[in-house]
Amino acid sequence: MDGESKRWAVAGRKAAAVGRIAFRHQLAYKTDFAMRGFFLLFILFVFIQLWSAAYEGDFSKSISGFTLKQIVWYLVFTEALTLAAPPLCSRIEEEVKNGDVAIRLIRPQSYAGYHFSVFASEALTRFVVHLAIGSAIAWPFVGPPSFGYGWLGLLALSAGALTVTFLLLMIVGLCAFWVEETSGLYFVLQKLQFTIGGMLLPIDLMPEWLQRVCAWLPFQAALYFPARMGVHFDSTLLVKQLAIQIGWIVLLGLAVSRMYRRGVKKLHVNGG
Amino acid sequence: MLALQTRGLGKTFRVKRKEAGLSGSFRSLWKPNWETKEAVRGIDLTVREGETVAFLGPNGAGKSTTIKMLTGILHPSFGEAKVLGLTPWKERERLAYRIGAVFGQKSQLWYHLPPIDTFELISRIYEMKRDEYTRRKDDLIERFELGPYLHTPVRKLSLGERMRCEIAASFLHGPRLLFMDEPTIGLDAVVKQRIRELIRERNREEGTTVFLTSHDAGDVETLCSRAVVIHHGGVLVDEPVDRMKREVLSRKIVTLKLAGHGSRAALPDIAGTRWETEEGGCRLAVDLKRTTIERVLSELVGRVGFTDVNVEDPPLEEIIKHIYGMKGEAD
Repeated sequence: MDGESKRWAVAGRKAAAVGRIAFRHQLAYKTDFAMRGFFLLFILFVFIQLWSAAYEGDFSKSISGFTLKQIVWYLVFTEALTLAAPPLCSRIEEEVKNGDVAIRLIRPQSYAGYHFSVFASEALTRFVVHLAIGSAIAWPFVGPPSFGYGWLGLLALSAGALTVTFLLLMIVGLCAFWVEETSGLYFVLQKLQFTIGGMLLPIDLMPEWLQRVCAWLPFQAALYFPARMGVHFDSTLLVKQLAIQIGWIVLLGLAVSRMYRRGVKKLHVNGG
Repeated sequence: MLALQTRGLGKTFRVKRKEAGLSGSFRSLWKPNWETKEAVRGIDLTVREGETVAFLGPNGAGKSTTIKMLTGILHPSFGEAKVLGLTPWKERERLAYRIGAVFGQKSQLWYHLPPIDTFELISRIYEMKRDEYTRRKDDLIERFELGPYLHTPVRKLSLGERMRCEIAASFLHGPRLLFMDEPTIGLDAVVKQRIRELIRERNREEGTTVFLTSHDAGDVETLCSRAVVIHHGGVLVDEPVDRMKREVLSRKIVTLKLAGHGSRAALPDIAGTRWETEEGGCRLAVDLKRTTIERVLSELVGRVGFTDVNVEDPPLEEIIKHIYGMKGEAD
């Protein structure tokens, strides 16, 4: 094994160790899990009622290529992915404010790598739980998610989607190295994900000019791609979307790396 | 061999200066007034391997900032530093394998999990061999007496128990140099003493260099062989603790809780001491170069009616103030 491969293998083993402990740590937050599960049930119930009214309860009707069943399951997938993301921005902001960032930086591990391990561990667990909860409400109202290889497409694109989400949150979180308050930036990012990311509405239902704008932004890779593939499997499109996700991961990864290298020089660790 | 060496190491921060009141806040929004604060002003320092060094100074003197620069957490604004042959801020991850750090006010343990889980994680992060990890872990558990609470979630541990786990965790990967930023803060006297003994023992047995900041004179006396005092970001004193002890740590404070309506006027004058009254009792400053605690206490017994007595070191701030006085830099 050459030096570079060995370095990546070591980083992978460290990431797996952090992921394992983060998984066990989050099991302590049972109330948080229950609250989010309840909120997901509530929000999906509201959406099912709204979309049922829009489709006039007609299961055969199609709007921009989506039937009522597809749109409800699409929302289950986007909500499961959205609520899976842990509050990374506020964590980094808190670490900088109370000085806990020092504990991260005394370890022989990359700062972004540590946060990615914790994020991945928590997000994957939450995603599975949210899918189960979402299925529990969507199934009785619109029937089972029988979309051929749709599940395969969803799972194939979800890993990349969560990675893109992580990198977007990391970019906002790292701003805390310059400005101590990132909640405004996070608010904007979240709303962009909700709208042009395709969380509330598939991008296919948006005006054409907006669809062209969305195509040049990373937000659709984080929510729209996996959810749409889940209800509309297309193997050619899957390969294209995987390639787009990889492109965004490389680009955003470089941005995170550059921001970290510049930010850590500016860092002012508070408190003792 | 040198554990660390700095040359003119310094750090400045830009801080926003804001006037009081609402109008000041608005003015600051449109026309922020930035000023540069010098946290550390060109420190020159050399520490040999195996030394135990106390790095002292009042709040805001730049102690923690210096430690953070030496561990690679902060990038300095100017100057140079080599820690175990590496430049900390350029080779942070490589250096991290060789050093350890304890921040008394921050925890490295996972809050909802037992300490053993953090130990396991540390062994993976530092790429320890399994047999080496087991041997070191078992040794530290025995020496630090961690057995009874090793499997208890950290949130259920007392501060003293948690600090023992924190320090043991910092020794786990066998660091050659351990930075400790106020490791005994908030602990009671018994736990403090035990923790000092354990650190001292690690220094003796493994030759770990200890670089410590503290506001407790007891930490300095018990643990360190050398003291470096900084003030306004620069080194003011750098000398062996023994000498410092003779010159400035030669004072003890005896606090008495007087019985009945004892008054200052009724207190006897004792050679080598000075009375200082305080609310609800009296403090006797004892100069150990002129008398002994034993002699003072025997003079007090029988001549002064008291219900409680306490003998302690003067606060470190007082000692440092005394040093400033000696150096002609008193406020």
